[in-house]
Amino acid sequence: MMEWFSDNGLLLGLALLDGLSYAALVFMVAVGLNLVFGVLRIVNVAHGSLFAIGAYTAASIGIFFASLGLPAWAGYIALVLSALLVGAVLGPLIERLLLRRIYGHEDVLQLLVTFALFMILEDVQKLIWGVQPIMQDAPMKFLGTVDIPFGEDVIPFTAYQLFVLPGVAVATLAALAWFLRRTLTGRVIVAVTTDKEAATAMGIDAAKIMLLTFSFGAGLAALGGALASPTTSLVPGVGASTIVLSFAVVATAGLGQIEGAALTSLMIGLGRSIAVYFAPEFEVVVPYIIMVAVLLVRPQGLFGVLETRRV
Amino acid sequence: MLELKGVSVDIAGIRVLRDVSLRVPPGGRVALIGRNGAGKTTALRTLMGLLPTRAGSVAIDGTDATTVPAHHRARLGIGYAPEERRLFGSFSVRENMVLPAQVLKLAAAETARRLDAVFTLLPELRDLAPRRAAGLSGGQGKMVALGRALMVGTRAVLLDEPFQGLAPVLAQRYAEALKRLHEALPDVAILITESNPELLRPLVEATFVIERGEMAPG
Repeated sequence: MMEWFSDNGLLLGLALLDGLSYAALVFMVAVGLNLVFGVLRIVNVAHGSLFAIGAYTAASIGIFFASLGLPAWAGYIALVLSALLVGAVLGPLIERLLLRRIYGHEDVLQLLVTFALFMILEDVQKLIWGVQPIMQDAPMKFLGTVDIPFGEDVIPFTAYQLFVLPGVAVATLAALAWFLRRTLTGRVIVAVTTDKEAATAMGIDAAKIMLLTFSFGAGLAALGGALASPTTSLVPGVGASTIVLSFAVVATAGLGQIEGAALTSLMIGLGRSIAVYFAPEFEVVVPYIIMVAVLLVRPQGLFGVLETRRV
Repeated sequence: MLELKGVSVDIAGIRVLRDVSLRVPPGGRVALIGRNGAGKTTALRTLMGLLPTRAGSVAIDGTDATTVPAHHRARLGIGYAPEERRLFGSFSVRENMVLPAQVLKLAAAETARRLDAVFTLLPELRDLAPRRAAGLSGGQGKMVALGRALMVGTRAVLLDEPFQGLAPVLAQRYAEALKRLHEALPDVAILITESNPELLRPLVEATFVIERGEMAPG
């Protein structure tokens, strides 16, 4: 055992750090997906595309800022701008033009429509940004690296991935928990999630709340993508891999609990990155092994509340 | 106050209400009697604007409200207690009751006044106020649902089978609460659905009977 650690300790440390920053990104996507499903009762297959578009938009704005000669920290403004743009423009557009028409329809129809939207958005990305990798890592380089002592070794790790990604995720979690519990709009969102018809009878305009929640979830996904963009070169397909993983998180966590989504993101993020370092051939399946193992024991998910279905 | 005029309603392509008419006068206490599946809940949901009509119209205060969105009903002073109490489980009892007042942007003083009025009518709610709604018993939940409906229902409350599943003692308490409600607030119209006509006889002035989605002689 000790021998294994001295041989692999460094790798394990890297896996944990990687897993943490990865979990932060997965959380940003999964928490939005969770919120949107709770209020709209639609599984939005295209949610990952919003992550991808957020990433591309952030990179484009970042490159544009750099071409203006703005300092490197302006890259962070690009990240936020991208999330705001997707949340305020693309979100309402999708909800109004498409999703609004399929509320309350059969699950199959909803899946087909959002899957179609996913395909359309994937092609729109290729139309706008092409298929060549795009790299805009100024925000990450700006903060440099930190040397983390790990036993006798030192792991150099980017400060961006070590502090910014988990920091934003934790701040999002705290802000969201506060928003949903303490503000009227947040409580109204919770009310619509619990029972749309009862909420409507209380005077709540559910259509407005659905638009708001979807746009907010879209913005969160885009923020996740924007935050991810400096850490990787962007290629088509980024959206698909993210959405699949965040589906696993939502299914494992169960619906409704944002803290649950955070913990599950951590579990799945760490599980995946440990696999990447120690058993790369299992990288893709590890999240699903975790998901299946949890669902076998708790079909409603780790934190989900079992609900009897009303007829 | 509230009126269905020759209303037909489909749910999932099946006609559930056929040419249904009923009227609740201002301050009136009206029962809608029918077996399970007769269309009582559908009639209430139609009055609330929660279901689209295929024919006929819904009127509130004599004005056509057929296409007025459901969430405007609360603003018009109409409260609704659905059959399955349907409280917001993660909120406390008090938060459940206050939420509709907050949504209507009532002044804090007015909200407090209404809350106090409801507590006076339904004293057990005062003790339940800090409890989480998810942990209530069926009978307690029904009381809270009535209280919550009264927070906005300054002109009318629609109560869907409030006696369903209540133990006799609790049903008695609920009936007494309704009597107190009428004495304290005679202007608030009450529409109650029930399958057993005897139960409501002492509480109401008019009775409508619905059978298989159609009005039947009462």
